[in-house]
Amino acid sequence: MNVIQVKDLTKHYSLGTQTVEALRGVSFGIEQGEFIAIMGPSGSGKSTLMNIIGCLDSPTDGTYHLNNQEVSTLEGDELAGIRNKEIGFVFQNFHLLARNSALDNVMLPLKYAGVDKEGQLKRAKNALSQVGLESRMDHQPSELSGGQQQRVAIARALVNNPSILFADEPTGNLDSQTGHDVMQLFHNLHQQGQTIILITHENEVAAEAQRTIFIKDGLIESDIRKEKL
Amino acid sequence: MVLQESISTAIDSIRANLLRSLLTTIAIVIGTASVIAMVGIGSSAQRAIDDSITNLSARTLSVYPSRGRGSQKISAAPLSISDADALIKDQEINWRVSPEIRGSKSLKYKNESISISVIGARESYLSIQGYEIDQGAFFTERDDLARKRVAIIGSSVGTELKTSSKALVGEEVDLGGVTFKIIGVAKSEGSSGWSNPDEQIYIPLLTASDRVFGRDRVDSIRVEVPNTYTPEEAMISIERVLRREHDIGPGEENNFRINDWSQFTDLQKQATAIFSALLIGIAGISLMVGGIGVMNIMLVSVTERTREIGLRKALGATHQAILLQFIIEAVTLCIIGGIIGVIFGSSLYFLVTVFQDWVFTIPFSAILGSVIFSACVGLFFGIWPARKAAQLEPAVALRYE
Ligand SMILES: Nc1ncnc2c1ncn2[C@@H]1O[C@H](COP(=O)(O)OP(=O)(O)OP(=O)(O)O)[C@@H](O)[C@H]1O
Ligand SMILES: [Mg+2]
Repeated sequence: MNVIQVKDLTKHYSLGTQTVEALRGVSFGIEQGEFIAIMGPSGSGKSTLMNIIGCLDSPTDGTYHLNNQEVSTLEGDELAGIRNKEIGFVFQNFHLLARNSALDNVMLPLKYAGVDKEGQLKRAKNALSQVGLESRMDHQPSELSGGQQQRVAIARALVNNPSILFADEPTGNLDSQTGHDVMQLFHNLHQQGQTIILITHENEVAAEAQRTIFIKDGLIESDIRKEKL
Repeated sequence: MVLQESISTAIDSIRANLLRSLLTTIAIVIGTASVIAMVGIGSSAQRAIDDSITNLSARTLSVYPSRGRGSQKISAAPLSISDADALIKDQEINWRVSPEIRGSKSLKYKNESISISVIGARESYLSIQGYEIDQGAFFTERDDLARKRVAIIGSSVGTELKTSSKALVGEEVDLGGVTFKIIGVAKSEGSSGWSNPDEQIYIPLLTASDRVFGRDRVDSIRVEVPNTYTPEEAMISIERVLRREHDIGPGEENNFRINDWSQFTDLQKQATAIFSALLIGIAGISLMVGGIGVMNIMLVSVTERTREIGLRKALGATHQAILLQFIIEAVTLCIIGGIIGVIFGSSLYFLVTVFQDWVFTIPFSAILGSVIFSACVGLFFGIWPARKAAQLEPAVALRYE
């Protein structure tokens, strides 16, 4: 069974008289437990694709089934509910709340999910220990290194046990050593069965994935599966 | 998301921009401070007025002759000393009666001459007016009956005659061509608005009537009524006596009038009410201005925090959760302003009570009311920015630089 099944996805942005065709008909399926890298030149439509399959945006046309549910027609609060329960995001620039502790940041999705205070604390601490930051849970983002901040963001993405983990250039703002540590974390999560979709420019990062989708000018150029060793 | 969560988020973000937030609330602070100060000062002033009514005004009635107002029925019937005597003889209410003859005469001492307001009165005048003697003594009933030429002067009369009031005691002066002996000086009272007792000269009523003015018509009769009677009861009694004295038949109008001083304080009350209504209006306007200020700063805040809003939405915040967060932030800002305003306002009011020697009483309802009103201002002016925040598209908001 596919976690994600998209067919003929298109996304058009209209800028005044001009229309930008960011996606021009994309179809693919993703199975439970896959680790996928999406690659392609700048402006090719990677982030646009992630926004749509991450339920942050709706496609102009095409269908999108997430866990067998048609979601391309949903809007507003229905999508918010799906993002909250099914999807975890990791961004290039971390997007942590600057004035909140690491623990508070990780608890945020649980607050919107309506989990009680006790459950929030327990699950957030658990997620932080999964990324090896239990000892830093009272620190604010400004008191953490870039790699640590990204690990807090990963803990936040994982805390609600999402079906899919999305990461848009998670190592883009990190030096190679810390980037490598973060990729190790993704590798471990994949080993534990987590479905991961990762956007990247870097070949070494993509090398961690089992499958690489290349996008160019809003279309899939190639979809390559590595043979399992 | 629970309310408590939104409140702590709101307080966090207010604290992060503390100075800006406090500056934003200044108009709210001024608004609530003036409401609180006004309500406090208003109620204390009212209390002071009420006290003065029960102390003095309401217990003292004044009788004047009717001014001929064109109504032919009323024959010009002056008030006379015998009217005052009739009031004194009437025993129904044990009032004190003080008839007065007033006029202006020239007062000469050595080479100095001034024009002075003369008051011919009974020996009870001093205590009914609440005046006191500084030097010498007031005249007695016997002085009055004997039509003695003795006088008491106000405290600043001496200096007007190029000497001191103290030095005049025992001296002889010329009052309208009649020689008088100064036997006392009254304590300084200060001007009461329409007359200044310090610049007057007091002589016995009968002396004034027979030797100075040559008339037994009096200008007014003051009646001091004991507290056990209401001014209305006293008025009815005065009317009964004077109508009999003046031979006024049933159905005819009075040819005298009785002033109840509470009418005067009613006017004063009205003036205070208008005054405080005006100030409450100003306070209302400044609260509105404050609300617009809060709205402005909330709009700035929404723009500044576009990415935060995008993130919150990406993590599953609903439309309502974002709306609530920003409304609560605006309301909290206004409540903080309101509380600071209450503190400022009551401090101001407290200072005024200290200087005016008033009682400090702020009704709790005023405090609660003005804080609740500030909260409503925040609610009203916070809705629009909060809607803007809630309507942001998550994908667009996250890309915002
Ligand atoms: N909100 C928008 N409004 C208008 N045009 C947009 C919008 N978002 C993206 N685009 C356009 O769509 C195209 C694809 O953008 P997208 O961000 O998906 O590229 P990308 O592959 O993620 O690039 P990069 O590697 O630089 O992040 C670009 O031409 C971009 O200018
Ligand atoms: Mg991108």
